[in-house]
Amino acid sequence: MKKPVTRRDFLKITAAVPLAGLLPAEELFRFNSRKASQSSSRARVVLIRDPEALDNHKRPRAEVIQQMMDKAIMTLLDEKDPVEAWKRLIKPSDIVGIKSNVWRYIPTTTEVEQAIWRRVRDVGVPEENIAIDDRGVRRNPIFQKATALINARPARTHHWSGMGSCVKNYIMFVPRPSAYHGDSCADLARIWFEYGLKEKTRLNILVMLTPLFHGIGPHHYSEKYTWSYCGLILGVDPVAVDSTGLRIIEAKRKEYFGRERPLQPPAKHIFLAETRHHLGVADPAKIELITLGWEEGRLI
Amino acid sequence: MGSSGKAQAEVMKQLIPETVDDWRAVEDNFYDPQTIFDYIDGAGEVYRAYNFRLLLSRRFLGPAEQVIFVDLFYMGSAADAFGVFTHDREGEKLPIGQGAVYKGGLLSFWKGSYFVSIYAEVENQKTKEVVLQLGKVIAARIQEESSLPAIINRLPSTSLLKDEVRYFHNHLILNYHYFVAEENILELDNQTEAVLGFYQLNKEKTKERTVLLGIQYPEEEKAKRAWQKFIHYYLPEVRARKDTFVQTENGLWTGIWQKQDLIAVVFDAPSREAAASLLANFLHPNQ
Repeated sequence: MKKPVTRRDFLKITAAVPLAGLLPAEELFRFNSRKASQSSSRARVVLIRDPEALDNHKRPRAEVIQQMMDKAIMTLLDEKDPVEAWKRLIKPSDIVGIKSNVWRYIPTTTEVEQAIWRRVRDVGVPEENIAIDDRGVRRNPIFQKATALINARPARTHHWSGMGSCVKNYIMFVPRPSAYHGDSCADLARIWFEYGLKEKTRLNILVMLTPLFHGIGPHHYSEKYTWSYCGLILGVDPVAVDSTGLRIIEAKRKEYFGRERPLQPPAKHIFLAETRHHLGVADPAKIELITLGWEEGRLI
Repeated sequence: MGSSGKAQAEVMKQLIPETVDDWRAVEDNFYDPQTIFDYIDGAGEVYRAYNFRLLLSRRFLGPAEQVIFVDLFYMGSAADAFGVFTHDREGEKLPIGQGAVYKGGLLSFWKGSYFVSIYAEVENQKTKEVVLQLGKVIAARIQEESSLPAIINRLPSTSLLKDEVRYFHNHLILNYHYFVAEENILELDNQTEAVLGFYQLNKEKTKERTVLLGIQYPEEEKAKRAWQKFIHYYLPEVRARKDTFVQTENGLWTGIWQKQDLIAVVFDAPSREAAASLLANFLHPNQ
């Protein structure tokens, strides 16, 4: 039996609209559907997994990561050669910033960064026109004049935004990141427009090698709540990439805890990136998900 | 850091030992509400929501370069130390300080005006022992012991899930534990004291929770305004009648009462009578 839509559900998707005359449940459903269908594009997302991606110490194997990236990008862009695929995203004249993430416990990883860097070089971008950075992007001269961005970060739950996502990864372009903390970071997608990042971003990579599916304490980390998923999610649409990663994390939580256990707080910024900010699509029905490689434990 | 901050910092340094077993302190860092994001990113918002004043993070190095972090938060009041402890109560309950839980290499406890988090990056039996030992030493060094915020004692105790009680101030924390509305329709802020109690009233539906939200405002006028706003946005049916209970879309009952500077709201009660009983017992605990 479907759960009824309650006024609490309604108030999750509307900003303090009085329940004048009280909308019946059917109307609430219709309202939900209207909100969700405002954006109609279908976004391709590639999930690739390889059980050999990590060594016995859970460190990424560079050659396997490169192969995974190559296969994924070829599939994403319907090309037979990885460099040809990258040429669809980057021109030799581009100045390229690779936005990474250096979080102490689960970083983007050097192996992923280098796999991107190598292919950007293969396209013909000179070394001096490429930079990899996270917390220093505002001061980095390459990022300051970048014409193209590649956004790569690890997937993890997050104490305040629900999930550390590709959308969220651009918070370091903001002078005062805490200004976006309101309402569980609901409006993170705004950054992409306010700082001219949407047009520059050519590819988003959510690193799912050892995702964190539950966080504890001030550091929001315990190895106990990570697992070797050995995956990468690639897409041009950051919201579609995040939404796919979020579904996997939610599925892992259900598997681990033995029951539905929604993220606290919910990763509402991903859904609002679609419904409020129109940065991309979060609704799985609007995402063309292509899965490659290792199937066991895929969770999606 | 001002002179009072410096004095507090000195006190805090003395509360954490320099060594324990084969582990030794290698680094101290202090953070205030402005700089906490440099240390723990967005998680800093939780501690800011509880008005924390100063954090001392002391890093310990042990065998094989393993790391333990002791994060000692001076919250400025026992109520807020207790409150931030209630933010995450999951784990094995332990008799350390005035309330403690352990899970996944992390010990959290509160005592007096302090909230303490001790975290081993690698969890094993040995690091767990060291974490607990550190906790016991720190708890013993904190001399102050305090009672719970008075509003907690208003929660009717029958069927209350005691380990799920939350104490807080602002609506972001309310929504973290029990979503009400995106907008701050109850006008919560750092001046308000709020408590969430979860009840298991229906013995057959053990997953069904009834929620009692109690709020104390700094003045009656604010409570009245919040009451009106909540009814306007959440229970508009009530505007046309005197009864402040509504059977909502899921078949359960929601109701709100106000008495002077207090507001009590019940969500998802199995009956109107159950909702009224919780409200009455919260607002008139001695009757």
